[in-house]
Amino acid sequence: MIARNETIFKWSLYAAATALCFLIQGSLLQRLVFWGVIPFLYPLLAAIPPTFEGPLAGTIFSLCVGAACDLLLPGPVPCLYTLVFPLAGLCAGLLSQSWLPAGFLCSFVSAAAAFLLHGSFRCLILWMRGTAAWQAGALVMVREFCVAAPFVIPLTLLYRSVFRRTHLDD
Amino acid sequence: MKNFLKQHGLWVLFAAAVLSVSLAVMSVLSANASPLVNLTGVLVSPFRAGYTAVATWFNDLQNYYKDTTDLQAENAALRQQIAKMEETIRQAEADVEENKKFRELMNLTKQRRDLTDFEAAMVTEHAVSNWTSSLTLNKGTSLGIEAGDCVIDECGNLVGVISQAGTNWSTVLTLVDTDTSLGAQVFRTKDLGVAQGDFSMMRKNRLRLDYLPADSALLAGDIVVTSGLSGHYPSGLVIGSVEEVRLDDSGAASYAILDPAADFDALTEVFVIKSFEIVT
Repeated sequence: MIARNETIFKWSLYAAATALCFLIQGSLLQRLVFWGVIPFLYPLLAAIPPTFEGPLAGTIFSLCVGAACDLLLPGPVPCLYTLVFPLAGLCAGLLSQSWLPAGFLCSFVSAAAAFLLHGSFRCLILWMRGTAAWQAGALVMVREFCVAAPFVIPLTLLYRSVFRRTHLDD
Repeated sequence: MKNFLKQHGLWVLFAAAVLSVSLAVMSVLSANASPLVNLTGVLVSPFRAGYTAVATWFNDLQNYYKDTTDLQAENAALRQQIAKMEETIRQAEADVEENKKFRELMNLTKQRRDLTDFEAAMVTEHAVSNWTSSLTLNKGTSLGIEAGDCVIDECGNLVGVISQAGTNWSTVLTLVDTDTSLGAQVFRTKDLGVAQGDFSMMRKNRLRLDYLPADSALLAGDIVVTSGLSGHYPSGLVIGSVEEVRLDDSGAASYAILDPAADFDALTEVFVIKSFEIVT
């Protein structure tokens, strides 16, 4: 029973932290343009928590983030983020479990993978629709990652503090 | 005292009589105040002046306090009045802008009798991702807005098409979004084509006009409007103007790059065409 309460508390904290990021994205970052793109935090939200929580829990968390994004953002297919973000979460979880310990570097690499997956999926959809734009897509993907990269640090600190707060016994 | 009056009473009475008579005589003889009255007045005059000065000072003080209090109250009232007037001016400026837009829209309604039902909506959010070009509006299905409705600005330029509509919100995909595709016609040559978003041009706010006839001779600046052939969208809405004509990768067909007439970044208010009559 205690374990269940702790689990609920932990994921509530993760959800609250993510909701805060959604709020910042929607109220502030969406109105700013750097290097021709708006800072796009959602792939980071799908990539960073799994580096702390591992592949399974991380993938489920990213699935929830993806579903929330699909509900909020217009896209070429209704389940774009629900498909892409769990993959990004799985990659991030496996990365932190096998190669890089959770931390700034791991978050950075996971974020790069998330942006790569998201951008590739977008380009793939454009290609399937007969309006391929690989070069323009790659350019937007690189710009998007470069602009969002500085946010890896505060988001890693935020999710690490949630992780430490909810894993006191570890 | 009694003794004094007994001994000198008569003398005092006599002196008083002499004095009275003297004063009376002097008063009759002199044109101004008598010397004695004058002397008394001269002696009392500084006291009178002093008393008057003190009274005046006190009165001034009282008036000053009263005036200050009144001025403060008046000042506060004026400040409130100014604030209200400034608010009215601001509102008036906003109303003037709104009126201008509605007047332009009224002209458009007069010119375009096929556009039967408009709904004004505020733009609450511009692009939400780097991969789409969209606007979010503050009106939705509760006011009859549906997916597929055309959205125009106050000048009648096409902004985009509603892609999703909720109860009190709706999302517009602008003309330059990759998911937007509509029948178009070049106003001058009557050539038909398909105006559609292209991702490689989306960041530059440009779109393509594809499937042009082989013999089309477009010029830069040619106006492109909706053809309305499918019946899904009204005809004659201005999409934009031709910026450049290019050959496609095969080299066999040409396409035009269009500069949209609507300025998507500057839009704050748009009009959703809820219904229209098909003009044949």
